[in-house]
Amino acid sequence: MKLSTAALALALLAAPAALRAAAVNDAQIASIVVTANQVDVDAGKLAASTTRNAEVKKFAELMVSDHTAVNKSAVELVTKLGVTPEDNPTSQSLKKDGDLNITHLHTLHGAAFDRAYVDREVAYHQQVLDAVDKVLIPGASNAELKALLVKVRPAFVAHLEHAKALQSSLGK
Amino acid sequence: MSATVTRRIAVCLGLVAGAFALALPLFAAAKGERQPVVHTVVIDASSFAPKFMRAKVGDRIVWVNKDLLVHTATAKRGAFDSKEIAAGKSWSYTVTAAGQLDYRCTLHPTMKGSLLVQ
Repeated sequence: MKLSTAALALALLAAPAALRAAAVNDAQIASIVVTANQVDVDAGKLAASTTRNAEVKKFAELMVSDHTAVNKSAVELVTKLGVTPEDNPTSQSLKKDGDLNITHLHTLHGAAFDRAYVDREVAYHQQVLDAVDKVLIPGASNAELKALLVKVRPAFVAHLEHAKALQSSLGK
Repeated sequence: MSATVTRRIAVCLGLVAGAFALALPLFAAAKGERQPVVHTVVIDASSFAPKFMRAKVGDRIVWVNKDLLVHTATAKRGAFDSKEIAAGKSWSYTVTAAGQLDYRCTLHPTMKGSLLVQ
């Protein structure tokens, strides 16, 4: 188990590098946004149905509803704009990390599960905010796509603070 | 005869209505009352705008959720709680007592606002 945690940590450290990669177009941004939200919805669903901690459950349910709502708006917008999300190294790495996280979480129970889920949520939201600030908002050429990213950014900040507060309440 | 009675009734009613019309504002003015005001707080991009608002007892505050996420406007000491305001919906609260009411969104605690009620 120690090994898989280390592998996950390595994968998480490597991810921001991928997010800083070359400039992205709107079709790639659309794919990154949809993938990033879906990854957190999937983890949230697993956590909401697994945890026995009321606070973790509340947080997981909020992640499912918020990230589902963001994705709904994102899909509506790109459909309206006629943009087809385009797979790219960043969205692929987000998907891979998301799958790795789900596989890892399936091996855990009780407090260990809660800590792993919440730790990952802290890292994930930090990563997503980084991408939003350094790649997605600067890279978006369509004004509505940029506006959507600006509109949802503060919610990700709230999620990060919420996850950090949970992390310290769970202890290390 | 009946025309006279009708006229008298009409005059009386007119006087009564006139008296009320004159007396009401005077009465209100004497007590220093004012018409309640409706204030709007817009919820967008996970924040309240304006964050700080002054109001008077009797005023109504309307929170309009223009964001795409669900939010709440919940006073810290329990004075009011909108519960979940869905995207595109609004919720209102009529202020009943003076004081400072700090509130936040229970779902997104980074969202803070304050009402100063005089």
